[in-house]
Amino acid sequence: MRTEAPRRYPVYVPKVPTTWWVRTAPFRRFAAREFTAVFAAAFSAILLLFLLALSRGQEAYEGFLRWLRLPAVIVVSSVIFVALLYHAVTWFRLTAHIQVVRLGGNVVPRRAVVGALLGTWVVVSSLVVYLLVWF
Amino acid sequence: MGADTIALKVGRYRPEHAPEPYFDEFHVPRTDDMVVLDALNHIKDHLDGSLAYRWSCRMGVCGSCGMMVNGEPRLTCSTFLRDFDSGPIVVEPLRYFPVIRDLVVDMTDFMEKLKSVKPWIIGEEPPIDEGEHLQTPDQLEVYKQFSMCINCMLCFSACPVYGQDPEFLGPAVIALAHRYNLDSRDRGRAERARILELDNGIWDCTFVGECTVVCPKDVDPAAAIQRSKVSTATHMLRAVLPFGGRE
Amino acid sequence: MIAATPDRLSLGEILEDSDAREVRPRPRPGQRRKESRLRQLLRPEPVFWGLFSMGGFVSAMALPASVAIIGIAFAAGWPPDRAFSYERVSSLAQNPIAKLLLLGLVSLPLFHWAHRFRYAVHHQLGVHGMRRPVAVACYGTAIACTALAVWILLRI
Repeated sequence: MRTEAPRRYPVYVPKVPTTWWVRTAPFRRFAAREFTAVFAAAFSAILLLFLLALSRGQEAYEGFLRWLRLPAVIVVSSVIFVALLYHAVTWFRLTAHIQVVRLGGNVVPRRAVVGALLGTWVVVSSLVVYLLVWF
Repeated sequence: MGADTIALKVGRYRPEHAPEPYFDEFHVPRTDDMVVLDALNHIKDHLDGSLAYRWSCRMGVCGSCGMMVNGEPRLTCSTFLRDFDSGPIVVEPLRYFPVIRDLVVDMTDFMEKLKSVKPWIIGEEPPIDEGEHLQTPDQLEVYKQFSMCINCMLCFSACPVYGQDPEFLGPAVIALAHRYNLDSRDRGRAERARILELDNGIWDCTFVGECTVVCPKDVDPAAAIQRSKVSTATHMLRAVLPFGGRE
Repeated sequence: MIAATPDRLSLGEILEDSDAREVRPRPRPGQRRKESRLRQLLRPEPVFWGLFSMGGFVSAMALPASVAIIGIAFAAGWPPDRAFSYERVSSLAQNPIAKLLLLGLVSLPLFHWAHRFRYAVHHQLGVHGMRRPVAVACYGTAIACTALAVWILLRI
């Protein structure tokens, strides 16, 4: 990208600290939002172990269920849950920021889009609960 | 200090005297209608004529006077002294750019990157005797917001990705490229894609969103960049799928 | 703009006698290699971004309820016993549609993580350079776990 001739004058180039993201509130919120992806991956890992145990037969599966009931695992799951809620809210806001929604020639305000996404979330979550527990 | 003056801590860098930057503190008169740029002009006129800084229109349309004011990238012509309860107001050169002198930064990087995305109409122009290249208000509306960019580079100073990785194209550059990609008169999408879709192009952006927050003209570069990503991804999908359609 | 024409003394030359020098110069980037047309067409970034996007959507919509049931409610004893019985779960998991959904629930959040984490390593953890290895490690993990999930689901 940089193809200009070497400068003929001195410049001062300050170093950017690696901790830039703890220094202001917006940056901290950004870092928290990005970090929720780790918790999503953690859930995927748990689900993968769940399926692995299931594939190994009843004993392995029930052993895994016992592991799920450990207090430490419940705590981790709760942390994952809270993190994923934060992910969901920030994700819907980002989506509303990018996606312009038109309804009959008028642009739908962003807050309405976020509201619609949250409403969809309630419906999908209910469906998931139904499928997991009662289906 | 009386209520009618305020302190300004101004970043100085004068390599012929000292290798490191330092701060000078000045006390300037304060009135309700003064902006930071007025304060700098007062310093230059009455207190220290050696202060170097850029400014031009003093009304927020030229993009020359961008500086860090209390750690935020601002246009000094649009930042009122009355908004600061007490001093000192810290004025520093625009962040993430090399400092040449005092508050003047080196814009070369930005200029080169802007040029590289070809921010002009690319494509066949209709012959003169066929009349103007027509565009409906709706077609204008599609890109108008992104055309408001005044190249003030505040978004670059707000972008932590650019701060960490100077190779990144940057918000304004991508927003302007997007502006031309959206223009109905333009045919240069593929040409610009060669630069935009490199590693340090649109994909480096992690949608921090601070660029949009600091933009004085409501360009919303963050939206432009994410929409570029969507557009590029769907474009590629359509090129790959058998029923994709054009290109 | 900067114009240091050869036939005029530049500021740098004028200041040569002084202590003026380039302080902490920015690393000069190497010239970018010319990219082949094929490489231009087959860019992986849109694919990974697309997967990241879908993963983010799935993680937002389906994952909170899933972790609430599997990780919290079940452990607290709320769902009736038969809900998580081996018979019910394994028979549900035989269904090919269920397998696809489960694959999505495992794989897409991992690709979401891979993309975000890859940039976090550079931008938040301060790792400069090593872009290829970091990307390969992150996406590679997601791909490997996806393959593992496919293999497991086929065995169920």
